[in-house]
Amino acid sequence: MSPEIKNFRKWALAATIVTYFLIFVGGLVRVSGAGLGCPDWPRCFGSWIPPFSRDQVPPEFNAGIFNVTLAWIEYINRLVGVIVGILIAGTAILAIRNFRSRKRILIPSVLAALLVAFQGWYGSVVVSSKLMPHTVSVHLVLALTIVSLLIYITQTVYHLENGGGSADKKINSGLRKSVIFLWLISIVQIVLGTQVRSEIEMILREFPLLFEQDIITVLGPINYIHSIWGILITLISFFIAFRLVQKQKDTTSLARITGGLAVLLLVVQVLIGSALEIFGIPPILQVFHLWTASLFIGSLLVLYTELAQVKGV
Amino acid sequence: MKTNGLYRGLIFGISGALILALLGLIVIELAQDSRQSLEVLGTVPDFSFTSQNGEIFGKREMTGKINIVNFFFTSCQGPCPYMNSKVAGLYQKYATTDMVRFVSISVDPETDSLNVLRNYAARFGVTDERWQFLRGPIEDVQDLTENGFHLAGELPNLHSTKLVLVDADGNIRGYYDSFDDISLDLLTVHTRELLRDL
Repeated sequence: MSPEIKNFRKWALAATIVTYFLIFVGGLVRVSGAGLGCPDWPRCFGSWIPPFSRDQVPPEFNAGIFNVTLAWIEYINRLVGVIVGILIAGTAILAIRNFRSRKRILIPSVLAALLVAFQGWYGSVVVSSKLMPHTVSVHLVLALTIVSLLIYITQTVYHLENGGGSADKKINSGLRKSVIFLWLISIVQIVLGTQVRSEIEMILREFPLLFEQDIITVLGPINYIHSIWGILITLISFFIAFRLVQKQKDTTSLARITGGLAVLLLVVQVLIGSALEIFGIPPILQVFHLWTASLFIGSLLVLYTELAQVKGV
Repeated sequence: MKTNGLYRGLIFGISGALILALLGLIVIELAQDSRQSLEVLGTVPDFSFTSQNGEIFGKREMTGKINIVNFFFTSCQGPCPYMNSKVAGLYQKYATTDMVRFVSISVDPETDSLNVLRNYAARFGVTDERWQFLRGPIEDVQDLTENGFHLAGELPNLHSTKLVLVDADGNIRGYYDSFDDISLDLLTVHTRELLRDL
């Protein structure tokens, strides 16, 4: 095994893990209401390190809106973003240097680097739009696209490292189609979820006497659509899981593990979704609700690629 | 060997999720605390003016309710109508509660007679006791803006366009820029927190 491959695998894996962490942190920013903790971008209240107290806020900013906790939560989100940026840039540079002939590594690596740069800039749009619902959704979909590319890169280099990598698109083609269909409707579900969250924020603004835990009772049809869509996803998932068990002799062990992981994540997700309804949307569960969803679509993607792998290599 | 790896992965995953959950709970708690712990920025001194309906209204009447206070004068053309249209928006939003009061104090009592104030209130759709327009001797108003609310500026033209949040005990808990929507959103967040304590 060449050291270049091993080194590249480490970078790609690190980028994937830290990006998932960033998605978690981003969710935290959203539910803790820290999205506008820094009213400017890329700096925070005019400086690269946010102020620690109200007296340090420069006169051109309204010191009344300064909240040291929220400013630092948002700032840490940006710092983790910078780390992700560096890791993805490193991955792309290594891909260009060592894997120029392997298009399956080169193209997604470069694309991920371009998208993460765009995402960094788009952060400024989110802030300057004062968190308009559609900008927050685009920000999330971009993050999911980036993490999907990273997963694909990591998986490809993993196969390269283990001497495999021979894929046959004809294998399990029907099952793979259902997996990618499930992936697609899960993305739609995530976007629906962001709309539910946006509606919560809209209601909080318009009905200042409602507390967050009571809002679930006044949510409009979007919440029903989100729940019904979730039931649909669950049904399709169990159909796929059933087919996977039937076909387990033709699949690699990684395919079986990710299939099991996807089912586990789905069960966790259904539990969290029900708990949100029962306990009046506690913020921490909202974050895990989104995060589990992003892990779920990641596992589907791995499964999709893995199902095309020729067994025994 | 393989099952071992699987178990290791599972344990690793579960402990990772637990650490993240703990981290998340701490961050959310800190954020909530930072919003709830509103400093006491001062105390409203005793004062007693007359409302648009000819009734006595002062600090005593403010006590026990959450109050959103501002200074204005009816003949002001630029910022006042804008500021009061923002207050009118809030007045509508809080229509279902008697616990939030709006108090607008005229800085030009000479022009703003009770009759003028009554008409002005009607222009902003005021139909009940929740929004009080006050008139008092100019020296007292001057003293109240400067020493009570710490809003410096030469009256009437240079009065402040800030909204002041006063809690049920007559303590000043925040100043909000009526020209900044982020600041106004914060006002509703803080008002919610004060209501929670009532």
